[in-house]
Amino acid sequence: MKHLSRFAFADRKGMTLLILTSLLIGASVIGQSYYFVAIVDRIFLGQQSLQDVLPLFAGLFLVLAGRTLFTWLNGKTGIRLASKAKEHYRHRLIEKMSRQSISTSVTGRSGQKVSVLMDSVDELDGYFSRYIPQMIQTLIIPVMILAVVFSAHLYSGLIMVITAPFIPMFMAIIGVMTKKKSEDQMEKLSAFSGQFLDTLQGLVTLKLFNRSHRQQEEIESSSLGFKTATMEVLKVAFVSSLMLEFISMLSIGLIALEIAIRLVVYESVSFFTAFFILILAPEFYLTLKEFGSAFHTGRGASGASKQLEETLNEEDHSLVWGDQRLTYEQPPALSLRAVQFQYEEGFALDPVSVDIPAGSHLAVVGKSGSGKTTLLNIFSGLLPPSSGDVDVNGRPLYSYKETDWFNGVSYISQHPYLFSGTIAENMAIGVPGASREETARAAEKAGLSQLLETLEDGLDTSIGEGGRGLSGGEKQRIALARAFLKKPSVILFDEPTTGLDVKTETVLQRSIQELSEAATMITVAHRLHTIQAADQILVLDEGRAVGTGTHEQLKAELPLYRQMVTMQKGGEGA
Amino acid sequence: MKDLKEVVRLVTLEKKDILLSILFGFLAGLSAVGLFASSGYLISKAALLPPLYALTVLIAFLKLFGFARALGRYAERYFSHRATFSILSHLRVTFYKRLEPTAPRLFQKYRSGDLLARIVGDVESLQNFFLRVYYPPVVLVIIFLGTIVFTSIFSLPVAVVLLLGLVVTGLVIPAWYSVKQRKSSRFVRESRGQLSTEATEFIYGFRDLKIHQQLSEKQEMLQQASHLYLQQQEKDSREMLASHSWNTFVTLMVSWVVLGLGAFLVSSGDLNGLFLAMLVMISLTVFENAAPMAVLPAHLEDSRRASARLFSLVDEEKTENGTKEMDASHAPSIRMENVSWRFPEEPRQALTDVSFSIPAGSKTAIVGASGSGKSTIFQLLLKFHAADAGVVKVGGEDIRTLDEESLWAHTNVMLQENHFFFGTIRDNLSMANEGATEEQQQAALASTGLSFSLDKQVLEKGENLSGGEKQRLAAARVFLKGKRLWLLDEPTSSVDTLTERSIYDRLFRQAQDDTVILISHRLNGLEKMDQIIVMEDGEIQESGSYEDLMSRRGLFYEMKQIEQTILA
Repeated sequence: MKHLSRFAFADRKGMTLLILTSLLIGASVIGQSYYFVAIVDRIFLGQQSLQDVLPLFAGLFLVLAGRTLFTWLNGKTGIRLASKAKEHYRHRLIEKMSRQSISTSVTGRSGQKVSVLMDSVDELDGYFSRYIPQMIQTLIIPVMILAVVFSAHLYSGLIMVITAPFIPMFMAIIGVMTKKKSEDQMEKLSAFSGQFLDTLQGLVTLKLFNRSHRQQEEIESSSLGFKTATMEVLKVAFVSSLMLEFISMLSIGLIALEIAIRLVVYESVSFFTAFFILILAPEFYLTLKEFGSAFHTGRGASGASKQLEETLNEEDHSLVWGDQRLTYEQPPALSLRAVQFQYEEGFALDPVSVDIPAGSHLAVVGKSGSGKTTLLNIFSGLLPPSSGDVDVNGRPLYSYKETDWFNGVSYISQHPYLFSGTIAENMAIGVPGASREETARAAEKAGLSQLLETLEDGLDTSIGEGGRGLSGGEKQRIALARAFLKKPSVILFDEPTTGLDVKTETVLQRSIQELSEAATMITVAHRLHTIQAADQILVLDEGRAVGTGTHEQLKAELPLYRQMVTMQKGGEGA
Repeated sequence: MKDLKEVVRLVTLEKKDILLSILFGFLAGLSAVGLFASSGYLISKAALLPPLYALTVLIAFLKLFGFARALGRYAERYFSHRATFSILSHLRVTFYKRLEPTAPRLFQKYRSGDLLARIVGDVESLQNFFLRVYYPPVVLVIIFLGTIVFTSIFSLPVAVVLLLGLVVTGLVIPAWYSVKQRKSSRFVRESRGQLSTEATEFIYGFRDLKIHQQLSEKQEMLQQASHLYLQQQEKDSREMLASHSWNTFVTLMVSWVVLGLGAFLVSSGDLNGLFLAMLVMISLTVFENAAPMAVLPAHLEDSRRASARLFSLVDEEKTENGTKEMDASHAPSIRMENVSWRFPEEPRQALTDVSFSIPAGSKTAIVGASGSGKSTIFQLLLKFHAADAGVVKVGGEDIRTLDEESLWAHTNVMLQENHFFFGTIRDNLSMANEGATEEQQQAALASTGLSFSLDKQVLEKGENLSGGEKQRLAAARVFLKGKRLWLLDEPTSSVDTLTERSIYDRLFRQAQDDTVILISHRLNGLEKMDQIIVMEDGEIQESGSYEDLMSRRGLFYEMKQIEQTILA
């Protein structure tokens, strides 16, 4: 929460405006009371006519208009502040996320990231638009009223000073007393409220097991359970506001009694003073009470605030690239020098060293979870190694210009992401200026022709977010088409682990062969023919490089490798 | 308003709590007016130096009103919230009842998870309907009527001014902003959707954006979308504020007019000056009750939209259901004759001219690449969709004449996504078969290699289980159901070979005489099947026994060749 208030107070202009408008609201509250009382006093006791008090009416009008105007300005400043804060935090989050290496996106927290960016930021609104302005008002207006009351009538002022602290005190006491209780209820609450969603999500299963009718009763009973639990929590809240109401009412009553007695019995105050105080007293307590509800709103932002802070304070794995130029007259030579990688928790890749001569092909093999994809990500320059170096043409990868490097790289993953747009747009993402003919040719090479023929709009067919409506194989072929457009010098290829899609399979084989002729290639390989065709094979086992060599060498020397390649030959291994 | 008809009906089911909250709301509101009126009167009276006892009575009144207001407010809140949650319960049940019959179809049609979240959100937002839309105007009007009647005793013109004030603050301003609100909240929604799409693409497509150096461009688009969304939000908030401010201004002006009018009447002798303070206090207080009217338009709009969306969702999905009960006594045969089907709003056919025949008691495997139409066949067999063309027959009956509930009741289905509920393992197993004994349940678990205690807690959606555990539990559940038709969609895709074998052993033992259709993600172990159907691009490429297909050297053979070169 601290960083939120720091942000708010750093906005000098906004704060000044809030303070200024609060002062003006306070002044108009006092002025309003003054004019009302003055008019009543002169008409009622002074027996003056309407004409006599017309100037007072003009003053009252101005004060009332002022009160509305200043309250509006105050609210507007709050809204502006909230907007600024949301903009600031969202901006920082986006910056942060764009700097991240892909280690965060491979840890599978993408959904959470989206929700932080959307919902957590939105939840800050109340803190800035309501809590902060109300807090400032509460600090200013009651003090102003108090000062006026003191100068008008000392004893009423004293009563206010003595009773006012009871309001925050009671709030605190009730808060402490009920915290445990409401936390208990909260757990129940989330269980109950989750149940409706749970049931809906499982409705197909319920139907298939013929249980959906019975579930209706459960929804009813859990909704009623929800009601009981919520009412427990709410009752506490209602009782506390009842107590606050009583306190403020008793205090007002006390003031009224005191001034009435002084008015009648001692005749020591005038009607004007008495009425004036009587009208100001409720305003005094009202501001204090309103702070209570604003405080609640402010507290509501604490979860979101915590989440934001966590995200923003996450360690930056940002990559610093150099400005060495890299040209691709020939495919580059790559090598790893004692490259190590450690995820925040769990998996670690032990030091790996390997040389990939220009234009050659390295196949990485190993069981799932052995670190193959991590290695591919390190080669791509998306994931900086924890230690060790990736060298390109004998120099560290990160000494090159970032754009130069990525200009020559294609990464064909098992699950390429397609953006909402047309197929042509998705293909041209790597080469924005690609001509229509080039795009069509790349699509043809990637084996998309048949698919495109079945689509009315061909290359201009829109595909939704994430490539909705396309099969896995088709998405892969579009990714392949991207590569054909780009003509990369470095190909990183994560071979599919399933093999039922014969069409994609043949296209991949032929295309990768064609692409690799002018490139240095690293494949996470699952197919024997890919492995056999590689110039060099790297075997990984649980994050360790256990061998490098050609197929024949490894078969002769490495029992683990021999076991892997013979297992599938029999066909019954899987 | 027609969108909200059903909701209003559900709200009025809670008559007692509604009446109580209106009663107490009225009491609280009127006590507040009474409190301030009597304090105004008290002070004026005191100025005339009456005997002390006269004041004592007034002070007693003051206290009475004060207590009545506080307690009334408490009771009002209590009953109105209780009513709200009862209404929420009615909403859920009603909506569940309407959704339930069409669920499988509906969920297949909207294949995204956020449909459900939206439903829950919409139902939740409707709970505000009573609290923020339905009941504030009622209470407001009653309090005003009471106050106006009381005021008219002292001065009719002042009463008329109050009435006019009510019309403006309670009706004119909210109605004006209601129209504006509708437009601006649409912009907010649209820009939020835009931002959400951009954010999703940015985060999920991060790697591809980075490699293709589109990250900074996309980032710029994301920042812009964020900016636009904030602008719309700010505009929306400012409108709310303006509505609020105008309301305040009018109420203050009403008090100003009341004072002016009162002053005129006093000086012209038509009103006793003693009541002037009281009337001013009344007008200052009574409009406090009009404050909820400022937020009413926004809530009304929310409720209207939520309701329209919810009920249109349910209403569009009324398809005819058959009445014939399925014959459960023996295993059924299955036939498809020239069946074609396409997902609504998708350019390509999901199934084209599919025909096959599966004799009763036979075992069939369906294989093919992802997206080739395997699962769609199941969806048609389960009546989740009706074929666009062709005939589907189960047990010789046209599926259209069969009652879907009866079809589901007599089929053992395992889909790719299997749902588990919050509760124990036992709860989740007994839903398949109430009559199963503990021993049977244990045995079913054992045959899938699970060693869970039946009392083990399962969290929502089974999120404390791994993918493999869920699949095994789903298999155990389907074993317990024990009907004569089996539809299994990749039942062993996330378990190891040993477990797979154990599951298939039990399956083939238990289903010896049953009809089994199995969608398989692997080609190994299909030698035992009577028939293998090979799908590609929504069409059947070939079918036959394992030996047939292998010797024919067609698509199946090729698939088999590829699979054999893949390392485990």
